[in-house]
Amino acid sequence: MTPKRPEAAHEIRTESQPVQIVKQLTSRTSVRIGAVATLGAVLVGCAQDAPQDTWDPAGPSAQKIHNLQWPVFAVAGIVGLTVLSVLGFIFFRYRDRGQPIPEQSHGKPALEIGLTILPALILIGVAIPTVGTLFALNDFDDTDCVVNVTGQQWWWEIDYPAQDGCGGIETPIVTSGQMVIPTNTSIVAQVTSRDVIHSWWIPRLNGKKDAVPGRVHQVKVEADEPGIYAGQCAEFCGLSHANMRMEVVALDPDDFATWKAEQLAEYESPTDELALAGEATFVAQCARCHQVDGLTDAAGEPIISRPDENVWSGAAPNLTHLMSRNTFAGATFDLLDAECRPEVWEAPPEEFGERYLAGVDAECLNEPELRSWLRNAPLMKPMYTDPEKLGPTDGLVRGMPYLALSEDQIDELIAYLLDRQ
Amino acid sequence: MFTTGSKLLIGSALAATVAAVIYGLTLDGAMGTVGLVAAAVALWFLAGVNAVVRDANVFETDDASVNASAAAHPRPGNSLWPLALALGAVVVAIGLVTQQTYVVIGFVLVGAAGAEWMVQAWAESTSSDAEFNEEVRERVMQPLEFPILGAAVIGILVYAFSRIMLWLSKEGTVVLFAVVAAIVLAIAAIIAMRPSVRTGAIGGVLAVGAILVIGGGVAAGIDGQREIHEHETVDGLSEEGICESPDEFEADEKASQTIAIKQGIAAEITLAGDGTLSFDVPGPSGQGATALTLPRSSTVNIAFINESDHERRLSLDHGTEVVQTEDGGEEEIPNQTCTTLVEDGGSQLMTFKVDLPSATAPDGYFFFVPGVDTALLEVVVP
Repeated sequence: MTPKRPEAAHEIRTESQPVQIVKQLTSRTSVRIGAVATLGAVLVGCAQDAPQDTWDPAGPSAQKIHNLQWPVFAVAGIVGLTVLSVLGFIFFRYRDRGQPIPEQSHGKPALEIGLTILPALILIGVAIPTVGTLFALNDFDDTDCVVNVTGQQWWWEIDYPAQDGCGGIETPIVTSGQMVIPTNTSIVAQVTSRDVIHSWWIPRLNGKKDAVPGRVHQVKVEADEPGIYAGQCAEFCGLSHANMRMEVVALDPDDFATWKAEQLAEYESPTDELALAGEATFVAQCARCHQVDGLTDAAGEPIISRPDENVWSGAAPNLTHLMSRNTFAGATFDLLDAECRPEVWEAPPEEFGERYLAGVDAECLNEPELRSWLRNAPLMKPMYTDPEKLGPTDGLVRGMPYLALSEDQIDELIAYLLDRQ
Repeated sequence: MFTTGSKLLIGSALAATVAAVIYGLTLDGAMGTVGLVAAAVALWFLAGVNAVVRDANVFETDDASVNASAAAHPRPGNSLWPLALALGAVVVAIGLVTQQTYVVIGFVLVGAAGAEWMVQAWAESTSSDAEFNEEVRERVMQPLEFPILGAAVIGILVYAFSRIMLWLSKEGTVVLFAVVAAIVLAIAAIIAMRPSVRTGAIGGVLAVGAILVIGGGVAAGIDGQREIHEHETVDGLSEEGICESPDEFEADEKASQTIAIKQGIAAEITLAGDGTLSFDVPGPSGQGATALTLPRSSTVNIAFINESDHERRLSLDHGTEVVQTEDGGEEEIPNQTCTTLVEDGGSQLMTFKVDLPSATAPDGYFFFVPGVDTALLEVVVP
């Protein structure tokens, strides 16, 4: 039975003048918006020297991802362009010119089956290398060194357990913000969290790995060349999520050995008078939360910080060797001033280790920001430290509170912290 | 002589007058006397007006007036919803001074009664046919009423039954449950075999059953629950030395011992047949140290695998803690966490958090297995 042809097929439709005007205006506006959007989309991909560029891998794991994402993007691009081209052709060829509506039909088995099988084959083609890459990224058989990475609002603690790996570590090392690793060494980061879910992500070295309280997730961290590789928390974790940054610092194995030795060096009280006063101020004001290994009280007993009694996450950055790293406050601010920073961050690989290990001295210290931080940290980085709003946490702060330090105390503390090499 | 309404008002006015006189003479209360006199004056006035207009009665022979009046229409059915709404308001008021739960219940009652009342009033205004009006109301409300009432009845029955079960002894609950199940089965079988049983009879049986359950539940609820012994846990017994004992405690009875977790744990600790403890960090295998390093102030999950020939527990000693003694003093005791006894070949998860570095304990932190002297594993918390 032949389907009845719709009556509309015999009609030649005309449009009123206002409708035509609206269509013309809409058409012009659409073209302009489309052009701006396309230009914007192209331009946002043109960041020069972007430190967190997933298209610029710097380690084997990132390279594996890179090797996968290129063909996947190519396939997706071809499919996308093909679909858009066909759609564009159809839109243009069969646009409404007042012609009769063509005869409608239902079902085209060959086309439908073909358009089901073709995408399935494409997806299978994409799935094979994808699954292979996933397995390769989670193959930890060649692990040489294990590093614990613990996230909390809003900074990362990095600790190196006692192990044979990493050239041998007899005493655990605790640091924060910057994970220092030897180059061309297969490091596995054991990622977890103390409070909420975070996500560890160094784009140039590997993909993201969620840090979940009570669980330990593994992710490889390996860099080909010495340098600093920036990253940031990739899971929304509260007020200062955007300020929860971190870096992986890759050093030559020899430089890494030097770094380890420096991290395990015995604590020495400062000899400078101002710094010595700073030590007392630190003990009185900061040691409640911040640990400085080797620091002792008047009786010679070790001073053990109790962040669990003051901070919601139960932890605060270990400041034993603060000036050996070059960022602070969750890697949000530089410890190096604008002049010295490029000398380290942009150093050629062969000179990088020496410059990084030089640490931060008085000449290169970004004193204004460190001073501001000590003066009123919550002004520098949004945190939950207002005493009147700490009911839900039983008075425990999330972040560094305002300590009402005097300018003299700040001077002393800066002198003391400069001594924490 | 006097109409019915006038008699009522005259009586009331008389009573108010007498009350005003007695109150004024005996109690000498000015305000009360003024109030009663005012009431008496008002009632006398109303009684007079009522007597003059003869209760506002339409003359019975005036058919036209009678048939055309509003009163000629069928009067709306009696409504209990205002009463329910008032009850809800009272419950809200009681809740405001007692428990928040009553406030919520009161508001629910006020909302439900208000909705029913409004829909009923609306339905009664649709026509002068009471039957049709009721049908309109049912069409709107029954899709809501049936499921809500059904859920409420089921909830009440379940709650009442739970009160009975909690009131009975543990053995009694088993017997009662078996008896009730048998009765339900028997009644269902009779109904299935005799389809001709009258619906009224089935309804009667169900109603009797419901009354018994609800009545029993109310009685049991008033009498209170039986004494329920709280099962001890490892946490509750750790201060009493369970973590240092290889023996079985109540906390070990029927404790779940097999875990499925394979990922996300900080380490696997295995007790071998020769009595040694070893650890393995899942995933990467590069640790290779004799001490297990764990982060500070971080919740840690450890899987304990018992490959010895005996039931064993894994214990962690992490320094000491000060606890209050019964006489109000303080006592320093080992700060320990442990698993329950794990069967040979079994595994169990231990979750803990250590807030202080291991350097604060003179002997450091260590895992041990009570009853196996050779099973020691150092723990480093930096």
